[in-house]
Amino acid sequence: MTTWTTALVGNPNTGKTSLFNALTRSYEYVGNWTGVTVEKKVGQLHRQSGALIDLPGIYSLHPMSRDEGVAVQYLLHETPDTLLNVVDASQLERNLYLTVQLLEYGVPTYIALNMNDVAEGRGIHIDPKKLSAALQVKVIPVNARRKHGISDIIGQLQSANSEATAPKEPLSFQLHYGDKVEAAITQMSALLPEANVPLRWVALQYLERNETVQHWVHNRLDSAQQRKLELIGEETENQLRAHGQALHLAQHLRAVRNSFIREVLSSSVNMNERKPHTLTERIDAIVTNRWLGIPIFIGILYLMFKATFEWIGTPLSDALDAFFSGPLTVGVSSLLDSIGASSFTHALLEEGIIAGVGGVLVFVPQIFILFLFISFIEDSGYMARVTIVMDRLMEAVGLNGKAFIPFVIGFGCNVPGIMAARTIEQPRERLVTTLLVPLMSCSARLSVYALFAGVFFESHQALVVLSLYLLGIVLSLLLAKLFTKRMMKEEQSVFVVELPPYRMPQWQTLFRNTWEKGKGFVRKAGTFILGGSVLIWLLTYAGPGGFGVEMDDSFLAYIGGLLAPLFIPLGFGTWQAGAALITGFLAKEIVVSTMNIIYHAPDAALLEAQIAQAFTPLSAFTFCAFILLYVPCLATVGILRKETSSWGWTAFAIGYSFVIAYIVALLITGVGRLLGYA
Amino acid sequence: MSTQTSTAAEINTTLCELKPGQQACICDLTRVHSTIFQRLLDLGVEEGSHVHMKRTSLFGGPLTLEANGQLFGIRRSVARLIGVKHT
Repeated sequence: MTTWTTALVGNPNTGKTSLFNALTRSYEYVGNWTGVTVEKKVGQLHRQSGALIDLPGIYSLHPMSRDEGVAVQYLLHETPDTLLNVVDASQLERNLYLTVQLLEYGVPTYIALNMNDVAEGRGIHIDPKKLSAALQVKVIPVNARRKHGISDIIGQLQSANSEATAPKEPLSFQLHYGDKVEAAITQMSALLPEANVPLRWVALQYLERNETVQHWVHNRLDSAQQRKLELIGEETENQLRAHGQALHLAQHLRAVRNSFIREVLSSSVNMNERKPHTLTERIDAIVTNRWLGIPIFIGILYLMFKATFEWIGTPLSDALDAFFSGPLTVGVSSLLDSIGASSFTHALLEEGIIAGVGGVLVFVPQIFILFLFISFIEDSGYMARVTIVMDRLMEAVGLNGKAFIPFVIGFGCNVPGIMAARTIEQPRERLVTTLLVPLMSCSARLSVYALFAGVFFESHQALVVLSLYLLGIVLSLLLAKLFTKRMMKEEQSVFVVELPPYRMPQWQTLFRNTWEKGKGFVRKAGTFILGGSVLIWLLTYAGPGGFGVEMDDSFLAYIGGLLAPLFIPLGFGTWQAGAALITGFLAKEIVVSTMNIIYHAPDAALLEAQIAQAFTPLSAFTFCAFILLYVPCLATVGILRKETSSWGWTAFAIGYSFVIAYIVALLITGVGRLLGYA
Repeated sequence: MSTQTSTAAEINTTLCELKPGQQACICDLTRVHSTIFQRLLDLGVEEGSHVHMKRTSLFGGPLTLEANGQLFGIRRSVARLIGVKHT
């Protein structure tokens, strides 16, 4: 028997993620499913009730962005056994629009009525029994945040699973769209390709001009059949227009659905005494204030870095570093002595692996703190306000405020940042945003700054690091202006953002999200960085003259030396810097591993002493700026290729960043020398 | 829906003209870009919806509005294309 699958569908900001977390034990991302190259999030439901698939939040099945297309693709290609529709009780009318389209899909559907407390607080009283009767489906009141009603949902899904062996009941939910549309549906049903998907649903979505569905249908028909389908649509639309019923088919279908929804609401909802969200209004009055909005946002970013570096992250990182360089190295060393290991093994483990991997792992606390802050900004509802606050600035460079979300997420890691660009509706705008996210300084680069800032700029760490972040932002804005001017002449920017009520994020969700984002970094340390460290160490251990050579005669020195002349104008033309930059392409934090291995430094203190000799404050800052910009890391290149579906744009992203990095580094060096820093 | 012709007297202003705190009823969405129109529908904003101007931003930045208890933001250039009637 195949796994019983339930798809979780709902509008954005309805508490879908909280519900997903409450319903599942564990989950994982699965890449590349049928037809689309987007990963889906699959969770295992409690009590062995099958798999739960989390689809991106959508307002209707009509996709306006690539992100939303995923849900429709899913419904077309993989038929779930049941649908679980999360509905926000405080915005019932607009949430039910999606519900109607899901009911038309014909798979057994359950409605999880969430946010009842918010609705009650605003004077909206919903009777779940009456709502259930009006929609002819089970409505389960839940509170995803407090985990109320979770076992009811599991129970319902389990009973659906056990009833599934019985013959399926005929589709019960059907709206009557008027004689003309109904006739068109009948005609179309004869033409549409056979599939697991209900024909009536396909016909309706086709008539609504759902491009994903039209594309799916057209791929399965010859051109004569396609033409016939198009004609049916056009004729029906003309008839509706002639009778003055509607200008467009989509408008007519929406009107029919909306009048049905209003009937449902009138029978099951009492909202006589509606009240506004007072808390949200009070917070908004401050954080989106016309004068204070931007300063507050910059202040929040500054606090984030302050906490990451000075208050919480660095003390933890220092403690971890002390452990790696002290007890761990000593322990491993004495263990190796007791088993009589060779000096080669000693060197490999102590100078290669512990120095390389440990050098990266010490930054885990800082990176997790940063991710925790980003998760907090996302979950609290502030992120949507950032788009409002930043829109005017983004408009000036040809993008819109929504592009700022991928940028902020990119501070954590560029890969999810680039994926977040999917929510941008216009293709060119999305492309420009995607190309610019790699300029956002991610947490891996942070480890490099932290290393150098610790050596050269001890008293101004947060400020120096903030300046590197700002450098990335300023450059991305300037380049956005350039790119949009050349590429987006005819496209109009689409900026409509929903501002959800503020909510205090739950710690559990926050930690889960933080772990979700940060675990990749830890995993990378165990795989990429481990392998890279061993390789780098071997390259330092071996040379043209044999094994155990002096570092300056090693293969790594030779390879790094080839690149070094290129960096002489930038002030760091040593083979060590050249080697670090080459390996840094695998992952930016490998730069730190490489430095650790090259300078034979078992702990941070010694490494810092070594680096203080090899760099000057000016060349260290230039090096950091160069690391920020010079090339997206391997994982980012992979996601760039995937999201742009073009090697050309991927190559462009790599090329422009290298050129910009070189120019910026030259400028910093030049200006720095003029100002008298050497 | 919009087959009845609206007289000039009915469309007395655009959304962009509202001052913070003022309310109005949307009567004309035909001039906005189709993607923006669809997005507004998604948020439950259509012809006949009551909107409440919450806040404006500096330098002609976006407007914060409320309809059906839902807060949302749009650009001033879009609001200029939306016809409203004072209520």
